[in-house]
Amino acid sequence: MRAAIEAHDAGADVAIVSKLHPTRSHSGAAEGGINAALGNAAEDSPETHAYDTVKGSDYLGDQDSIEIFTREAPGDIYQLEHWGAFFSRREDGKLAQRPFGAAGSPRTIYAADITGHVLIQVLYEQLVKRDITVYEEYFAWKLVVDGGRCTGVISWDLLHGGLKTICAGTVVLATGGAGRLYRATTNAYACTGDGMAMALRAGLPLKDMEFMQFHPTTMYPSGILITEGCRGEGGFLINKDGERFMKRYAPNAMELASRDVVSRSEQTEIDAGRGVNGSVFLDLRHLGAEKIIERLPGSRELAMTYAAIDPIYDPIPVRPGAHYHMGGVETDSDGATELEGLYAAGEVACVSVHGANRLGGNSLMETITFGRRAGQAAAEAALAAGKPTAVPESAERDAERELKDLLARSGGERPWQVRDELGSSMLENFGVFRRGDKMEAQLELLAGLRERYATVRVEDKGEVFNSDLTQAIELGYLLDLASCMLTAGVARTESRGAHARPSDYPDRDDENFLKHSISRWRDGGPELTYKEVRMTRWEPQERKY
Amino acid sequence: MQVGLKIWRYDASTGRRALKEYELDAPEEATLLDCLDLIKDRQDGTLAYRKSCRMMICGSCGMRMDGGAVLACCTPMLEIARSGHVPTISAMGNLPVVKDLVVDMEPFWTKFKAMKPWLQPGYVEPPEGKEHLITQPEMNVIHKESLCINCGCCVSECNAMDSDPEFLGPQALAKGMRFVGDPRDAAAVERLEAYSGEHGIWECTRCYFCNERCPKGVDPRDAIAKLGAEAVRLGIDRDMGAKHAKWFVTSAKTTGWLRETELVPKTQGIVRSIKDTKFAMGLARKGKVPFPFPQHVAKDVGESRALYDLVKTQGRDGATGIVQGEKALARLGHGFHDEGRDPYGPGSFPRPFVPEEEATS
Repeated sequence: MRAAIEAHDAGADVAIVSKLHPTRSHSGAAEGGINAALGNAAEDSPETHAYDTVKGSDYLGDQDSIEIFTREAPGDIYQLEHWGAFFSRREDGKLAQRPFGAAGSPRTIYAADITGHVLIQVLYEQLVKRDITVYEEYFAWKLVVDGGRCTGVISWDLLHGGLKTICAGTVVLATGGAGRLYRATTNAYACTGDGMAMALRAGLPLKDMEFMQFHPTTMYPSGILITEGCRGEGGFLINKDGERFMKRYAPNAMELASRDVVSRSEQTEIDAGRGVNGSVFLDLRHLGAEKIIERLPGSRELAMTYAAIDPIYDPIPVRPGAHYHMGGVETDSDGATELEGLYAAGEVACVSVHGANRLGGNSLMETITFGRRAGQAAAEAALAAGKPTAVPESAERDAERELKDLLARSGGERPWQVRDELGSSMLENFGVFRRGDKMEAQLELLAGLRERYATVRVEDKGEVFNSDLTQAIELGYLLDLASCMLTAGVARTESRGAHARPSDYPDRDDENFLKHSISRWRDGGPELTYKEVRMTRWEPQERKY
Repeated sequence: MQVGLKIWRYDASTGRRALKEYELDAPEEATLLDCLDLIKDRQDGTLAYRKSCRMMICGSCGMRMDGGAVLACCTPMLEIARSGHVPTISAMGNLPVVKDLVVDMEPFWTKFKAMKPWLQPGYVEPPEGKEHLITQPEMNVIHKESLCINCGCCVSECNAMDSDPEFLGPQALAKGMRFVGDPRDAAAVERLEAYSGEHGIWECTRCYFCNERCPKGVDPRDAIAKLGAEAVRLGIDRDMGAKHAKWFVTSAKTTGWLRETELVPKTQGIVRSIKDTKFAMGLARKGKVPFPFPQHVAKDVGESRALYDLVKTQGRDGATGIVQGEKALARLGHGFHDEGRDPYGPGSFPRPFVPEEEATS
């Protein structure tokens, strides 16, 4: 939506294609906040924000992009506020800022613990104000590439049925992540990596796919997110004995170390038998009822609804769960991809500002700042290119045929077993900790799942709201992405950020792996190459919290 | 646990409706949405419903359970399954059904857009291009309205919309209040003028079903009351509804009673009231109209007047005078099931300790 608004304001004729109504996108579920160095709560600067981000990324983030990001973030926040965003306030009337993990200053602007919801509402309001066309519940399926350019999208109209082709001078992917690869995930059912997979199939490179962030506080058993803001407000992490175990892993930052560090610490506790039901506990009791209700009402509501726990009286069972994909479609800092006319922004993209590990509060900011930049760049390119060319008939015919074949299939299994096995095995073999032999086993398992997927049967043959069909297509996206992640993971024989191999390669290896992995689809599988990290002023150092 | 569900299926291509019964085995923590997923995966892939976040923030999975709107993702099934009840699941009301549990949200969004739902800044200027300076209490006026996730549960249950499909309805009006109450918005008067027209604020029947069914504690009916109060405060009171409300206040202030005989001309105006004379005479013959003279003054009218004065001296005219729906506030706080329990008392989880401190003490 941010990209569409900017492109519209830059004079382009814009439409949004989305498989969900725009306010139903999963950015709305972001809770804790959005990072920009406003310096309202304590002294802060874009440079400090950049340094924290570089260090958090385990030095894999591209430093020039990070500097642009932290420099432009404050202006974007003020604009959101002028548009009407309902942020929480300080007593002096300025925007409130709270501490977040691995941040050198309280930098996270928030709206209680429903920050994403507030932002998605304000963006939709601005969309309505500009009367921007939205093709709601159009399921994007294929990128159209014609003459070395991206010239549109072929989509399936969920509500009315039928393939719909949208021609465009430029296309911006803003389709989010792929958390649904994992059984335990904070992500919505809709987060199936559609944009990444579409780009991959169109021949584009995906960057740093092995880096999936595990959020330290996802509720047991649902996987629903409890915000980092709970720890920002002073929450403790404890094991079954009540011990604040972070003292042993990050003695200074404690619960507010970076997410990869906290997730690994939790998993170590759980593996050592100091958890309950594969979980440790987030303890808010000492904050008291008043603070919990004022600052963290959403978290309390979630805990009461989905874990039957009132955090005023009892700690919440939490464990690491798949949360955010640092990798994605490779872009420059204007969102441009390798393919002319194709842009990407947000979680689907890899600029990269997050490197091997993202800091809490940086993803919402990324969607805004790089969404704006991608929208601007895409509008300029579209206006320069003139009227979009018609999509070649052959592309539409091929898509039509492929769809008919899929619907005509009979006899094979339904997709859900493949989906569930994928989710469980990814968690087991490619989770918080990784090991060579387990990843190899997962690759083998994946080959079997792909084989079974090739014959899955869609039961609903109808035209109207056929979610059976779209869910089957989404599973295909996930399987392709899993292959890329595993292949890149096996090859990275070091531990960096979210890619932790304590049993076979426990150390970071800057000499061989201070570089981005690049995955392309070639002959039915991913092909791996590497690319240098762009450094400006920060040399890699040992990372301690 | 064993769960039974009866689901109203609707096939758009044939227009046929059918109530189908399903039985399934589900984990104890399963919500209604989890149960629908299990049915779709393992029994009937053609079942259609919307879903996405499964954590009551995206607003996709509004539907009716036993005739009342719910979000499927925050409806636990354990107690229902234990009681042996087999609930009936159907699509939301007041919106056209597309297939099974999926409704066409187009009319919903059309009304949403009719509110001009975007901030029209300019009432106060932010210093140096930075943020507006506003205190939290000023923002809290629209706290509840800002929680709305556009799920449509309130619209589904709206009785006024049932009789007038063009009524703007609880969701759109709550969104309107979100801007009228925003201290940064400069268009309150224009908005209230627009919302006070036909199909607007005063068409609400005050059945409170929207407050009852909102899964987020938005309390749309309270938002509509706030809009009404703001409209009257700013003198936007041409609508009969506004006049009706104003007369309630005058009547209660002066005599402590609602003087119904005068209510009709005060609300409808003299001309229309004369047209209704025949109807009124009929009522009078049956003893349904109290004789207006001499004016009956309540014994404790002083209390009524003191209340009126209190509101005036506290400056609680308009939206700030509307008492927030207590029930919804309680829901927002989810009550205190364990009120009075010591979080660290016997049977509680151990008190947290830092390992090193423990070692040295």
